[in-house]
Amino acid sequence: MRLIITILAIIAAILGLALSILPFGNIALIPIVIAFILGFIAFKMAQKEGKNTKLVKIIFLIAIVGLGMSIYRSVFDENVVEEDIETINRDKASEEDAIEELEDLDLEE
Amino acid sequence: MKPIILVLAMVCSLATFSQNNTIAAGEKLTFTASYNMSGLLTDFAQVTMETSAVKTSKSTLLRLKCKAQTYSKWDNFFKINDLYESYVNPKTLTPYLYKREINEGGYYKFMKYNFNPKSKTVKSFKKKRRSDGTFWEEKKNLNIGTNTRDIVTTIYHIRNLDIHKASVGNTDSFTVLFDNKESVVSIKLLGKETISTNLGKKECYKLAISLNNSDLLKGNNSNLLWLTADANKIPVYAKFKVAVGNGELRINSATGLKH
Repeated sequence: MRLIITILAIIAAILGLALSILPFGNIALIPIVIAFILGFIAFKMAQKEGKNTKLVKIIFLIAIVGLGMSIYRSVFDENVVEEDIETINRDKASEEDAIEELEDLDLEE
Repeated sequence: MKPIILVLAMVCSLATFSQNNTIAAGEKLTFTASYNMSGLLTDFAQVTMETSAVKTSKSTLLRLKCKAQTYSKWDNFFKINDLYESYVNPKTLTPYLYKREINEGGYYKFMKYNFNPKSKTVKSFKKKRRSDGTFWEEKKNLNIGTNTRDIVTTIYHIRNLDIHKASVGNTDSFTVLFDNKESVVSIKLLGKETISTNLGKKECYKLAISLNNSDLLKGNNSNLLWLTADANKIPVYAKFKVAVGNGELRINSATGLKH
């Protein structure tokens, strides 16, 4: 049982870390919270059974890094759109093409 | 992006050749598009709706431009850069030229419709990029109905409707030409609702949208649009539900409004 909980905690912690690196916003908090809960249970069980708690501590470390990354991104990452030259030129070229195509159009007719 | 644009577009036509008294050149609306992931909304794109006057030697047209672009943090994973535009008569909002250029994570497609409102025909041009990087093109002549419009014109057309004359529960339908197919869209006025937006608290018309004979939009009354209940009828909030999930569109700013 302890082994299953530990494996699930590892998966949750790694998933949380991966999502905190990717731009998924606060969704990374879900696996991170799960990792903390499962990690705590695994830690208590390991203590009770007198087993090594080193792996559980690594899980906590991964979850803490993921949590830190997630908080950092939610505070400092802004919703910015990159207006590259290609996009600006595309807009302009599209309008120029349209003017050419509509040149013969007379709305007063 | 298609669902977002569709959601914005899906409101009915009450008067086909009504005079435009809502939309002016120089207007710019900016939105944030969010996608619901496991109950948490994630902002992924900016949607802008802009109008400008375009002059040819004989006429002055109104350019209606809608852009959807992913926020730069997403660009390395899945970049979206879509441009939808329509050139219309500024007095009646009758479309003459429609263009749609979509760039979505390597997928490229270009569509162009040259409308002939007198003969009710459309010259359609499609260009797509194949997986090997080469392009293929397709030209078609289409016959359309009297009230058929492109999707961008429809978005603006709905804002020009006399919604204040409609009663709660009223339903109407209209036809949109999309991907060379005419689709019938129905809308229902659900009532008025005051909602909190980035523009402040706004009293809005709440509209439910459905797409007939298509499974693009899911759910019953799950696709909703809120338009301000004033002379500008700004789309301030939209909720959409599609096959791959659901999301929403929230207004960030509105400038250059006519009223």
